[in-house]
Amino acid sequence: MKGFFSRSLASLVLILLAAAPAGAHVGSPNVFYDGNAGPYPVRVIIRPPVVIPGLAEITVKLGETKASEVSVQPIQWKAGMKGAPPPDVAVPVPGAPGVWSAKLWFMRSSSYGVRVQVKGPAGPGQAVVPVTTVPMQVLGMEKGMGAILAALGLFLFAGAVTLVVSSVREGTLPPGEVPDEHRRRKARISGVLAAVLLAFLLWQGRIWWNNVNAEARQGLYTPFHIRTAVTMESQPVLTLAIADERTADWSPLMPDHGKLMHLFLIREPGLDAFAHLHPVRQTQDDFRAALPPLPAGRYRLYADVVYESGFPQTLVDTVTIPEGTGPQVATAIAPDPDDSWHVAEPLTAPAAAGPKIAKLEGGGTMLWNQEPLVANRETTLRFETRDAEGHPLPLEPYMGMLSHAVITRDDGKVFIHLHPMGTINMAAQESFEKKVGMEEMPAMDHASMPGMNRGPSVLSFPYEFPQPGRYRLWVQVKSEGQVRTGVFDAAVGKAGK
Amino acid sequence: MESVAPAAIARPRVETAAALPWYLTAMLAGSTSIVIGLLWDISWHMTIGRDTFWTPAHMAIYLGGVIAGLSCGALALKTTFAGTPAERTAAVGFWGFRAPLGAWVAIWGTFAMLTSAPFDDWWHSAYGLDVKILSPPHSLLGAGMITIQIGTMLMALALQNRAPAGEGRALGLAHLYSAGIVLLMATTLITEYSYPNYQHSGIFYKIACGVFPFSLVSIARSSRRRWAATTASAFYMLLACSMVWILPLFEAHPKLGPINTPVDHMVAPLFPLLLVIPAVAIDFFVQRREEKRAGWQDAVLIAVSFLGLFLAAQWFFSAFMLSPGAQNWFFAGDRIWEYTSRPGPWRHSFLWLDTNPLTLRALGIALVLAVLSSGLGLLRGAGLAKVQR
Repeated sequence: MKGFFSRSLASLVLILLAAAPAGAHVGSPNVFYDGNAGPYPVRVIIRPPVVIPGLAEITVKLGETKASEVSVQPIQWKAGMKGAPPPDVAVPVPGAPGVWSAKLWFMRSSSYGVRVQVKGPAGPGQAVVPVTTVPMQVLGMEKGMGAILAALGLFLFAGAVTLVVSSVREGTLPPGEVPDEHRRRKARISGVLAAVLLAFLLWQGRIWWNNVNAEARQGLYTPFHIRTAVTMESQPVLTLAIADERTADWSPLMPDHGKLMHLFLIREPGLDAFAHLHPVRQTQDDFRAALPPLPAGRYRLYADVVYESGFPQTLVDTVTIPEGTGPQVATAIAPDPDDSWHVAEPLTAPAAAGPKIAKLEGGGTMLWNQEPLVANRETTLRFETRDAEGHPLPLEPYMGMLSHAVITRDDGKVFIHLHPMGTINMAAQESFEKKVGMEEMPAMDHASMPGMNRGPSVLSFPYEFPQPGRYRLWVQVKSEGQVRTGVFDAAVGKAGK
Repeated sequence: MESVAPAAIARPRVETAAALPWYLTAMLAGSTSIVIGLLWDISWHMTIGRDTFWTPAHMAIYLGGVIAGLSCGALALKTTFAGTPAERTAAVGFWGFRAPLGAWVAIWGTFAMLTSAPFDDWWHSAYGLDVKILSPPHSLLGAGMITIQIGTMLMALALQNRAPAGEGRALGLAHLYSAGIVLLMATTLITEYSYPNYQHSGIFYKIACGVFPFSLVSIARSSRRRWAATTASAFYMLLACSMVWILPLFEAHPKLGPINTPVDHMVAPLFPLLLVIPAVAIDFFVQRREEKRAGWQDAVLIAVSFLGLFLAAQWFFSAFMLSPGAQNWFFAGDRIWEYTSRPGPWRHSFLWLDTNPLTLRALGIALVLAVLSSGLGLLRGAGLAKVQR
């Protein structure tokens, strides 16, 4: 095994992480869901495995509910309930009342619905939390582990050569006889030949390992490639084409919040200009959107789509908006009535935790009582909206939700579009709910679900910042028919500091 | 008693026909535990799916390795530091220690198995759980297991070869039993190519011709017993059949999804290959050549008869295995499908007929492989027949 391990020492010292986006996010794979399992309010957190097959960690938080049993079950898209394994019973976390924990195997690269069943004083209840499982990284070998394996490999190599030498020297010698020089020489030669043969086998093993590694890297999930452009027709138009041969094997797109695509533009480097658009499909893979009056510059583009298989993707590109795309007379393409955009001050060094106030369009404010934020630590982002007079601002559903929020890190390596119910994709959740037989439930009014609206004009989002750094948040609400965007900046610290 | 004592002094008691030395018994038990654990583990993966290091099947595998390794380790320490001069001179040297060759081989196998455990654990975390069964850590584990079994075979052989002519019957049987285990290991390693559905394709016969003539011929050539390859094949079939019959008695359900085949009992291993048929011919040829030095013409003769008999046997037997006649507890023709496999008429059809047909060319390649394999088997067998320590 020497070759394996020398390779491991030479090249696998570093943890090689591919910043592979997966699902409807970039670099933020953990899933948060605030909702209900029947009569019980729940928060479900799923930390999907980074390799497939792999183990996901699932946490179910029930608050005050005294449950007698909590179970989780992975429902794979194709297999459905019929092909689902039996549920896994979660265990209560000692010292954390109402918190249950389970580990769940995900065997395929696919979209899954995790069915959470709660048995409690008010009877049984269930929720389905969609999650996508894709290989996200190829882990390298840590130095200590590499050294141990290399030492063991060397030991085995030397042992195997010695076995050959000993057997040739003495193996066929009748007991009591002492090997002569001829035998000893033959044994030494055999040892050299064995060493060469073993080295050859190890070299082959190394090629094998390299191939597995290369294959694993190639198999890492990457979203579909897209081509985007801004064209100046009778009006500035943003075009987006999904240009990826993998689409042929995928199910069709399905609408989420009534739109096939939610597209976000964020201007680099200050993250000052922001737009939330809904391009309209022209042909199978071509989309167009009327471009709002955004300042010129280079923009990061994130397009959220979801397939009928319940698999969401965030398609990523950058696009340059030229000068002169100010207010136009839209004729060819009417902007989507739910399109919105906002220009704010560029991101600067964000202030520490504490109350932060953002001014909203049309008067009014949004207040964020920011708690200290730490990477990889679950938090609840709470916002309060007020009108110009300081009274609670009555909110209306914006595309079926009380609010839409977008969070991104200054370098663009983290991007997520989330709602008060969490990071999950609602369309995916609805299709998995049908799979587990929840379609008979009365249509849910997500805008009035507990956990989403903790009081008039108050919003909360469950989330966990995946990496430390500087972040900008856009929190969008609708009031009096107008979309209003609160912009906040936050610094997220490293865990353990 | 008085008449027995001088004989016991002149010759170690272990070389009599009646008994096996404790360490050989331990090695045989360890080898058996490993192969049972392996088949159990494969069935576990095909039935239940979910697995940790601590499954009973894994424990059987590692326990077998540890039993063999510790016994041989104890034997090495005893031989080195407290062995009689006879014991020490009947051993081989290894880094200053002394023990029989088979013990060192088995100890190496145990270390290889133990090394594979953390390696495999890391492999799962890097590339996913058993994305492919044949991986570098699994190969190391397999090499360790088979090395222990080869060590057991060598130990029995050395004791057999030192026993006076006409004695060492139990040792001879122990050798053939351990050879049967090695055959079971070999057939298990090529399971992915030996489903009845593949037994009308070229690749199956190429692989079989590469692997089995070598194993069977070297067994026949190295044993003192007349029908050695046949006996070893019978041990192989008996062990494999026991697992085919016993495992499906236990109720078990998949704990992973997607479940495409609802399984409610442990999945059976494949019904064994009918190696016993070509083994009879191999024994016949090897017996004829016992007094003379076997040459390449013998290898050709053995290869032709192996391929002819094995092809005839498996060609028709595989057709039977795909038929309703094999769908019972004895042959377990329909109990071999794992929970992830999608049911369909393909289960009762021959596959790979278009991609890997059994053409004349494929048969020619298989024959060449069989000649090489038989020739090497003759050489190896002759070498093993001389093992003394």
